[in-house]
Amino acid sequence: MKVAVTDRDGAGHELEWDAADTLMETLRDQGMPILASCGGQRSCATCHVYVDEATFAKVGEAEGEERELLEETEHFRPEASRLSCQLNCSDELEGIQVTIAPEDF
Amino acid sequence: MSTHLPVVIVGAGHAGVQAAASLRRRGWDAGIVLLDAQPGLPYERPPLSKELLKGESAERVPLRKPAFFESNDIDLRTDVTVTGIDPAALRVHLGDGTAIEASAIVLATGAKPRPFTVPGADLPGVLQLRTHDDLLALRARIRPGVRLAIIGAGYIGMEVASSARALGAEVQVLEFMDRVMSRVTSPVVSAAMTELHEQAGVRFAFGVAASEITQTASGALTILAADGRSFEADLVLAGVGILPNDDLAVAAGLEVRDGILVDERGQTSAPGVYAIGDVAQWPTGVEGQTRRLECIANATGQADIAAAAIVAHELPELEVPWFWTVQHGVRLQTAGLWHPEDERVLRGDPATGSYSIAYLRDGVLAAIDTVNALGDFTHGKRLIQTRTSVDVQVLTDVTKKLSEAARDASVPVH
Repeated sequence: MKVAVTDRDGAGHELEWDAADTLMETLRDQGMPILASCGGQRSCATCHVYVDEATFAKVGEAEGEERELLEETEHFRPEASRLSCQLNCSDELEGIQVTIAPEDF
Repeated sequence: MSTHLPVVIVGAGHAGVQAAASLRRRGWDAGIVLLDAQPGLPYERPPLSKELLKGESAERVPLRKPAFFESNDIDLRTDVTVTGIDPAALRVHLGDGTAIEASAIVLATGAKPRPFTVPGADLPGVLQLRTHDDLLALRARIRPGVRLAIIGAGYIGMEVASSARALGAEVQVLEFMDRVMSRVTSPVVSAAMTELHEQAGVRFAFGVAASEITQTASGALTILAADGRSFEADLVLAGVGILPNDDLAVAAGLEVRDGILVDERGQTSAPGVYAIGDVAQWPTGVEGQTRRLECIANATGQADIAAAAIVAHELPELEVPWFWTVQHGVRLQTAGLWHPEDERVLRGDPATGSYSIAYLRDGVLAAIDTVNALGDFTHGKRLIQTRTSVDVQVLTDVTKKLSEAARDASVPVH
């Protein structure tokens, strides 16, 4: 499946999203500038992305620890923010577009 | 493809893998050779003492999928021994007698468990934990009712205590100091974490200097302490710290002092040879001071700096070092490095299970321990990075966000 990514410079990329990977792995492993410093353990917020409106309605808002991390980041947008390490590939996300959120400092 | 010789990275842990990834992301278009002594795909170490010990699956969590190494044209060679490096010729010698010519060498050799050397430490039931193989050996021996003695109440010891207790083992922690995790946190957090473990049935003995381990004919182990106390166990895990794997650097004549000394680019005393991660003594920014830090943010951040140096990019800034541990379901996350002399300010009530300890240096937030308080972690890390002076009144007011305690920015912290 494809995922359309806008990086922090506003440039667009179309990446292949392997079904076995999280979105964070897809971004990180294809050279997008996300730190993902906890490796997907839901411990940092360095893989923060904004999800397009239609897809966000399907994946839903962040909950629990993910929510707690996200809502304290400087660039949190309740209607779009997710940690990409918490997003798994599924057919219903066809057409997903994400924007990498600005770095937090 | 350029005609440059490859960059050869020795060690495929967090630092080495990130160095390879960063080189490609930064446009290095010649070869990248990534060497590791362990077989198999490079893997995440933090889960070894947590999920992989107590969970259903002990399968290693890869740092990157195989497709990453293929699509980025990274020549990953595992189960390979590096027998030496020649810094003048930039040559890496391998165990099979061959050598690789490099345009730069990156030493990302990490660390090994500090040898546990008391008499009896070589008995079969005495283990250490650093690699996936170590995990499998430990996991195979932990069963309900097994008496596990853990020597050392650092991150590893405390995480294993938590995981082993969840598996039904009888756990006794033996610590030389007078409190748990004394190197990484302050007494308030130590006390709260100890209580958490005790409620889960873990027992503690402090001031214990293990001096000998003996074994009876039935296989039971006895740990003798220097003060005459003794502790019975079926299994012993020694978590007594790590030492840098700097043998290659020593043999090559590089400057080494508890790790490989590097400059702000990660370059060692030999031009073209870099060192990153657990093995590197990195400048702190204060004249004449270096430090060796054991954390992932440090490993990956230094990897990116060395990669930037190799491709002659502007050097990125290091992320504030940060650490996390999960014990009995409680998440302790620390940002920054505390000093015992720092002013300590409690935010929230430990009795509620969610609180933070802020460490102030000259009125500036220097570090923060957060217990089940990820919001404070996120804010705190940012305040530390921006060297922000904070208002203690606001800091202790949990109805306000931690970020509201910021007064101004850009006061240098040392």
